[in-house]
Amino acid sequence: MAYTPNREPLGAWNRLITKYRMHSGSVAYLLQRITGIGLIVYLFVHIWALSSLTKGHAAFAEEMKTFSTPPFKFVEWALGTLVMFHAFNGIRIAVVDLANGAKYHKKLLAGVWIAGIAVVIGMFCLIFSTELFAK
Amino acid sequence: MSSENQYVQKNAGYLRGYTRSRNSGAPAWWMQRITGLALVVLTVGHYILMHYNPTSGHDYGETAARLASPWFKGVYLGFITIGMYHGLNGVWNIIRDFKMKSMWGQTLFGLLVVAGLVFIAVGWNTILTFDPLKP
Repeated sequence: MAYTPNREPLGAWNRLITKYRMHSGSVAYLLQRITGIGLIVYLFVHIWALSSLTKGHAAFAEEMKTFSTPPFKFVEWALGTLVMFHAFNGIRIAVVDLANGAKYHKKLLAGVWIAGIAVVIGMFCLIFSTELFAK
Repeated sequence: MSSENQYVQKNAGYLRGYTRSRNSGAPAWWMQRITGLALVVLTVGHYILMHYNPTSGHDYGETAARLASPWFKGVYLGFITIGMYHGLNGVWNIIRDFKMKSMWGQTLFGLLVVAGLVFIAVGWNTILTFDPLKP
């Protein structure tokens, strides 16, 4: 009997969210895709915003004044959380796929969360260093 | 048995779009891992360069100083290209999770390719036409 996948509209995500049991691995799979979408949207914005470099010193400085206000700094930090999860979990995916990681992927996932949270806290201190550590 | 055959007959149109692909998807799968690992290295470097002090990522002078190096320019041309490829290939992977008529799939694929090429061009233009002396 030939295998015929049961495809419904929005089938894959519908099954993932409503029918799969939320093991740590399925949560990581979903988060990898959601953070990935966030990052590609940001990459478009990032390339577009930095094209002001070609308009000269004044235009760029004016734009950076906006991006250095606390709300934008917070967004910058929040973006860092997406980057760190996507990068660390991406390393885990590569280890599972290309090395022997399937045998210890849950330990790798624990490492992803620990390393990710540590780096994200460090990033917060760095980005808000002028506010946090005022003279 | 019969219900599967009926399913195939009823959905022959769109199943064709999936089964008559020119390749198995394995090269894209490999490229996604290789570019992903390259991006981990590049992104760590990018984060350190842009955040090692509060102004390093936001100051025109420091940006101009970095862009004076042809090595930096070369790495960043690659960074833009690899990042765009990895991101849009990832979006395409997500799109393929959904049941979709092949016409829709092809339209979205075309949009991703065009968006990628346009924004790679914008990014390359920013780096290659940057003039530090412009006021």
